[in-house]
Amino acid sequence: MSIDKSISGRDGAGASPPGDDGSSPTEGTGRPTSPIEFRLDPASGVPTYLQLVQQVEHALRLGYLNPGDQLPKVRDVVAALAINPNTVLKAYRDLEIKGLASGRPGQGTFVQATLSQVALPELTALRRSLSGWLTAADGAGLDEDGMVALFTSALRDFYERRNGSHTRGGAARGETEGVA
Amino acid sequence: MTTLTVAARPEENVTLRPVPWRRMAWVTWRQHRIALTAVAVFLGALAVSLWRVGIGLHHAYAAAAACRPATSPLCDQLQTSFTRMDGFLVNGYVLQAVPALIGAFAGAPVLARELETGTFRYAWTQGFGRWRWTLAKLVPLAIVVTAAAGALSVLCSWYYRPYLTTGNLFLPEESPLANLFVLRGVAFAAWTLAAFAIGALAGMLIRRVVPAMAATLAAYIGLAFATGLYASTTYRRWSSRTSSTRPPPRGSSASGGQGAAPR
Amino acid sequence: MNVIEASGLGKRYGSTWALRECALAIPAGHVAALVGPNGAGKTTLLNLAVGLATPSAGEVTVLGGRPPGSPAALDGIAFVAQDTPMYKNLSAADMLHLTRNLNRRFDQRYAEDRLAELGIPLKRKAGKLSGGQQAQLALTLALARRPRLLLLDEPVAMLDPIARHDFMATVLTAMADDGVSVLLSSHVLAELERVADYLILVSRGRVQVAGEVEDLLASHRMLTGPAAEVGRYARRPVVRLSRGEAQAHLLVRATADDPVPPGWETHPVGLEELALAYLRDPAAAALPGPARIRSAEPSELTR
Repeated sequence: MSIDKSISGRDGAGASPPGDDGSSPTEGTGRPTSPIEFRLDPASGVPTYLQLVQQVEHALRLGYLNPGDQLPKVRDVVAALAINPNTVLKAYRDLEIKGLASGRPGQGTFVQATLSQVALPELTALRRSLSGWLTAADGAGLDEDGMVALFTSALRDFYERRNGSHTRGGAARGETEGVA
Repeated sequence: MTTLTVAARPEENVTLRPVPWRRMAWVTWRQHRIALTAVAVFLGALAVSLWRVGIGLHHAYAAAAACRPATSPLCDQLQTSFTRMDGFLVNGYVLQAVPALIGAFAGAPVLARELETGTFRYAWTQGFGRWRWTLAKLVPLAIVVTAAAGALSVLCSWYYRPYLTTGNLFLPEESPLANLFVLRGVAFAAWTLAAFAIGALAGMLIRRVVPAMAATLAAYIGLAFATGLYASTTYRRWSSRTSSTRPPPRGSSASGGQGAAPR
Repeated sequence: MNVIEASGLGKRYGSTWALRECALAIPAGHVAALVGPNGAGKTTLLNLAVGLATPSAGEVTVLGGRPPGSPAALDGIAFVAQDTPMYKNLSAADMLHLTRNLNRRFDQRYAEDRLAELGIPLKRKAGKLSGGQQAQLALTLALARRPRLLLLDEPVAMLDPIARHDFMATVLTAMADDGVSVLLSSHVLAELERVADYLILVSRGRVQVAGEVEDLLASHRMLTGPAAEVGRYARRPVVRLSRGEAQAHLLVRATADDPVPPGWETHPVGLEELALAYLRDPAAAALPGPARIRSAEPSELTR
């Protein structure tokens, strides 16, 4: 997933959503007010609000967004992508819960913190253990797609578990839990 | 569980003043200006024609009536030239058609066009409301149409005066006097209003413009014939009872003629 | 406030019931999608809500208890019918004038600005506009009335993709700016998830599913596992079963917290998949009340 590299707000390059000029009393002249612009991949299977959250986190990681920057106004996102405003609100709410953004009434939503950068030695260690896992998987007979499928499934289960669901389901390997 | 939602707009005062009636005036005009103009042009042309022919009729009648002695060949000739003008029958039939045409072309499309094109889904979901909208259209149109017919009927009364003077001996024998009843005074305007109402009703029930027009014409013709027959029967019965020159019909009693009048 | 409430609502045309026993409570502040195959009763429901039809059974109220078709209801509801009916001989400016005269509230400035943005000339007759322009004009007229509820009957069915996108963007922006609630009917599922946060599935005149999208998605899971073990799940509320020889998928009403049997995987379900599954089986319902249990049949499609 990529972020549109439109640094529209800063340079005034006209990448603002069309048909959007200042009929809302809270906006100024309708110039884009955020360094980033969202895009939507309707076929990706990822829920819309989650795509927005991930794009913000990605932008933070890559440095497009810094603390104090404003996230795109709800109205602008809706006008550009034709998505439900409640979805945008949900994404921003999610970011608030994560502590990455905060809303200022009447002004918009602003970036509050950066994502914790993982330190370089930790990254190296993680990479090494990952290579070990890949070697083991290869030795067990998994091909590339099989590795990806296994990893994706485990990743999803990990986050589902972490995000408040207490299920121990989803893992397709060797659990001896009772029948529902 | 509720999600975070955009705040809905706050409640407004529910007791609303209705949208003023006069707002529909522009609407009615804009949507029916062609029909109204056509009616005006049509009636105007009729009026001009009636005026021109009527002038001639009045002159001929005046000349024939003022002629003395009444049985001289000269007066006879004037009399003949008057009766031959035939202004009675021809214009009579033309004028018969006026309410029917107005009813069909001004009355039927009002509702039928909305229903046929589907625009009622727009018109009846606006704040004005379905019934008020219908009333605000039909009532002014009916008033305009009836007033125009009333004005024309004044002209008609003037036009027919030579034929209706009491003791007029110049009338053709089997005059369809019943027709006159339609075209004079209040009756003409009333027939126009009735035709308009029939048109509007047909438009509402049939929901297609052209079939509604046809149905209006048919209904009007039927009604006019029935009324004409009834009126002419009654008129003859009445005139035979009161006229001293006709023999009383056989079997008639003092309490009122029950038998059929001779035709 | 519920923008539409219905109980036992039914409408009969002749001897056919276009809609029966419809119970709804659509909350304000949402975009509700009314989805179902053609002839399912979507247009009937909208007509009942807007006062163009009267119920044969039950009752319906709008905007917090107002009768449909009453002045209070008409004032707060804007309706754009299928194929956006328009007076073909009137210009766009005339349509603005007309709508302004027929309503208490009309934002002339908004309407003119919007038409200018869209490039719709005010003097052109409505019949000469393109399909997308006519739809946008009808929508502009509706939104300029500043309604509380916007009802759209298959608004984008005849529009090309760009016109469709622009149309929905206008609707949703109005919702963001003004708090308008929206109920739109559609038989296109693909764009639902982006747009709708309340779903009403109608099939053969009955409401099968009515609820917030978030709740619906949270209360359904897709179980994948050995086909041989499918029989033991006949007890569970199964919405749909599809199976191959060795593998089967069960769409069940369960949450992520429900325990999963060994050897089975569970996945969340997408909105389109959920809607399709319900529509394929008109007897299934996700409403308060007993859910019908489907037995496992081997006649389903394989994945």
